[in-house]
Amino acid sequence: MALKRRATILAALSAAATILILLWKPSVINNGLQQAGLYAAIAIPMGLVLGIVHIVNLAHGEFMMVAAYATYFACRATGMDPLLAVLPAAAVTAAFGWVVFQLTIKRALKAPELNQLILTFGIAIALTQAVNILFTSQTFKLQLDYVSASIDIGEDTFPVWSYVFVAFAILYAVGLKLFLTRTTIGKAALAVGQNPKGAAIVGIDVNRVYGLVFALALALVGAMGALFLTKQSIFPSVGSPYTMKSFCLVAVAGIGNIPGILGASLLLGISEQVLRGFRDTRAWADIVFFVLIIAVILGRSIKWRKS
Amino acid sequence: MILDIQKLETGYGKLKVLLGVDLHVGKESVGLFGPNGAGKTTLINTIMGMQRPWSGTVKFDGQDIGGKSTHLVARSGIALVPQERELFPGMSVADNLELGAAWVPRAAGIEKRQLDMVVQLFPILKERLKQYVGTMSGGQQRMVAIGRALMANPLLLILDEPSLGLQPSIVAEVFERLALLKKEVAILVTEQNVRESLKAIDRGYVLENGAVALEDSAAGLAKNPHVVSAYLGI
Ligand SMILES: Nc1ncnc2c1ncn2[C@@H]1O[C@H](COP(=O)(O)OP(=O)(O)O)[C@@H](O)[C@H]1O
Ligand SMILES: [Mg+2]
Repeated sequence: MALKRRATILAALSAAATILILLWKPSVINNGLQQAGLYAAIAIPMGLVLGIVHIVNLAHGEFMMVAAYATYFACRATGMDPLLAVLPAAAVTAAFGWVVFQLTIKRALKAPELNQLILTFGIAIALTQAVNILFTSQTFKLQLDYVSASIDIGEDTFPVWSYVFVAFAILYAVGLKLFLTRTTIGKAALAVGQNPKGAAIVGIDVNRVYGLVFALALALVGAMGALFLTKQSIFPSVGSPYTMKSFCLVAVAGIGNIPGILGASLLLGISEQVLRGFRDTRAWADIVFFVLIIAVILGRSIKWRKS
Repeated sequence: MILDIQKLETGYGKLKVLLGVDLHVGKESVGLFGPNGAGKTTLINTIMGMQRPWSGTVKFDGQDIGGKSTHLVARSGIALVPQERELFPGMSVADNLELGAAWVPRAAGIEKRQLDMVVQLFPILKERLKQYVGTMSGGQQRMVAIGRALMANPLLLILDEPSLGLQPSIVAEVFERLALLKKEVAILVTEQNVRESLKAIDRGYVLENGAVALEDSAAGLAKNPHVVSAYLGI
């Protein structure tokens, strides 16, 4: 009952806020939604790994960066459109991630959390520096006509290409939900996430599930690498803010809560755009996610102390 | 012989817990008794591949399973009801039961039959198939854990302290159900509640200080002066 009332109040407040922002600057909502889609589609795979393998992958955004570089050079060499590379990029990144998992992360699964953090942080640095050495810190960008697609409403022009990120975020959230609750392997993965010991007892190969889930997450983030490339320029450290933001979003949503990541991304995407909407606060937009995570952690610990 | 353990030694770090245990289970129901810390759970974890044997052999259904991974032991036909239950709390009773059968070849194609058998044994589970396991009482969770193990159509069912943390009325019920099962599946059960479990078993071992101190039929154990004074509390 209390939960339902709270949800109603929350919905009413966000509707009111949306209307106010729409009246003030409609582009904030338009850009915020698309930005939220990008954040969510990148954060969801990180949430999957944290929820099932219980590893914080601090190289998450860097894997996306590697996928974007691989796609860039493949496209430049063959003239292929990066949209056609989405599936191959997913497959290649999954294979790469599976190898990295087998060689490194698998060995740290039973280690203390700090060691796991240091390991994935090390992988992040290694990936960034390897790309830096191979391709220098120069930025690369593909020039594609369709990314400037837009709709005119009245005298305003609204760019719409990045709604493709929103579509992917929803696809990922719905697809994972179905996978985890309807398929035999998905249910096994969910079981491993909830109780690895219990999963082994019923005959599930826990280490294999960890490897598969990690590879699946990297497939999703690899596809995002190709998609990211359609719009953004890439450089060696382009992935690292996405690691931070993904981690923040997953933490705000709570472990194992994939729909929550969609909500948290909306909050982050729109708040950033609101700040960007004011000339003087533009530089502040990049720290919204720190404020967000501190607020949520504070809120949780107050609630925890009360109960 | 379904399970045949010989001269089994294992332990943790420098601490040796099992000092050469010999134990076997045929098509029968066998009890494993002993005080807290005697090594009963350690023995069971070694059978299940959660603990490595230091020496000795563990044979199941003619195959040496000593040191095999837990999931392979489970797939070969041993189902465990662990002391701590080890269920999937955020999943429904139905999903927990389904997972008991999903990965075991012996259960392939007969999941429906196994489920019917489980809900017949524990009718309360039938009404609660949709309920999340994490929201159930300890006694109900114990039933889910036993049900999940039975879903695997096991050759050998191992129960580690099934009465732990249960009300006395439910303990009697659980052992009644176990007595019904012993015609269908070989059972190895550890218990501190020796009095109740003697009704459900054919034979029993007493494990003390990491070795088998005594081995006898249920009737023999019930009369044994050491068992009477140490475990039946008269
Ligand atoms: N994970 C562990 N690490 C170290 N020692 C353990 C561990 N588990 C059990 N022991 C020790 O092994 C001995 C046997 O324990 P256990 O097999 O749980 O006994 P039981 O099940 O008969 O009560 C005890 O002395 C216990 O302290
Ligand atoms: Mg024990």
